[in-house]
Amino acid sequence: MAKKYAKPPIVEAVCEFRLTPETRWDLTVPGLLYEKLKESFPQKDQRMIQQMELTRGPEGLHQQIRMSELIMFWTEDKKILVQVGPRLLTINVLKPYPHWDGFKPRIEMAWESLQAAIEVQGLERIGLRYINHIELPAQGVELTEYFEFYPFVGQRLPQQMVAFLTAVEFSYADGRDHCRVELTRIPALGGRSLFRLDIDYFLARPGAVKPAEALAWVEEAHSQVEEVFEGCITDKLREMFEEVL
Amino acid sequence: MLTTVFLPGPHLKTSVTGSQWTRAEDKPEPPDILILPRDLVQSFWPSLVDVAFPAPQRGSESVVIGIEELMMYLARKVRIENPNLIREYLSQFIGLLDVIPKAVNAAKKHFPEAQLVIDVYQDPEIADCYLVLYIRLKHYDDSVMERLEKAEAEFLSHLVSKRGWIQLTTDFREPEGDDAL
Repeated sequence: MAKKYAKPPIVEAVCEFRLTPETRWDLTVPGLLYEKLKESFPQKDQRMIQQMELTRGPEGLHQQIRMSELIMFWTEDKKILVQVGPRLLTINVLKPYPHWDGFKPRIEMAWESLQAAIEVQGLERIGLRYINHIELPAQGVELTEYFEFYPFVGQRLPQQMVAFLTAVEFSYADGRDHCRVELTRIPALGGRSLFRLDIDYFLARPGAVKPAEALAWVEEAHSQVEEVFEGCITDKLREMFEEVL
Repeated sequence: MLTTVFLPGPHLKTSVTGSQWTRAEDKPEPPDILILPRDLVQSFWPSLVDVAFPAPQRGSESVVIGIEELMMYLARKVRIENPNLIREYLSQFIGLLDVIPKAVNAAKKHFPEAQLVIDVYQDPEIADCYLVLYIRLKHYDDSVMERLEKAEAEFLSHLVSKRGWIQLTTDFREPEGDDAL
């Protein structure tokens, strides 16, 4: 049974669907989607994003920077948004996290609206990502007191770190899915320490999940993310987050 | 071929210190070289997982990470006042994420000698706020307003059809702080 916290450290949760190139996409798709979502997501905005792509060819790695436009639909309170770009659909919730009961229906609504607007041929990637900011009331922190996931530093190395980035990618479902977990320290206001725990569970084998199975995959991904999160923290943090029984 | 990375255990106690912003000035430190933009890290991830992917994967499109990357960029270029207010503003108007670097570059181009300061302006009379990018100079002359207009013209068109606003202006103050010219 999943734990629920009164003070969850989640600053953002993201569910993302990237479609395969066979899916037909044109400039009218965001408009079609907006027609279906505008009651829940009435506010529109847009932004450009830069994507760096590395492809491996016979002559080695090839680097390409691509600009894409994302159209955003926001809820009235500006806490939840849907982002639509070329063959891309993302649902983001910002803090306060509405819990899975509040996030899941938004994912279903956006995904089903997209499927009603276009014929999705395949899924390149699905991702469920949770970004946590964990603030501790001290500058010098023993990571082992709060985390079960942290950098290992041998005894011959200095034990005082001023910065670190720990990242591991785990394999699930016989390699179909991966979960990338990152822990890093980020700047905080005086006297405190701030850590970012980033858990990104994603479909690593393009096309391995059919569009009709996408929502079931998301549900399974959520269970795995919960397990990973619980596996990364100690009871001391659980106490700080205040479990709701 | 799949490369598996095993983590050693049991773990030693590992602690971290430093990397703080001071309350007094609310001033960000220059980004540490070890804290890399996420997408850059992800781009080179294949060195560990190697053939697990045909090509490197980009993480799900996060608003928070986008804001943090911009804040790191700003910390290298401008003096940041009230970083948490700026974060909060950007989380409401993330369409500005790609415009702000253009505004900073335009200001730097037309005022290479200036200190740039970014802040959130809150109108005291109405519920309206926006980002403001101040140029601060040791000496102000007649060319300042004309140069401001030229700089602004370079990014204004990118604000069209976006929510939120960034205003380039000056408060006619002198540069201040550790990074003053």
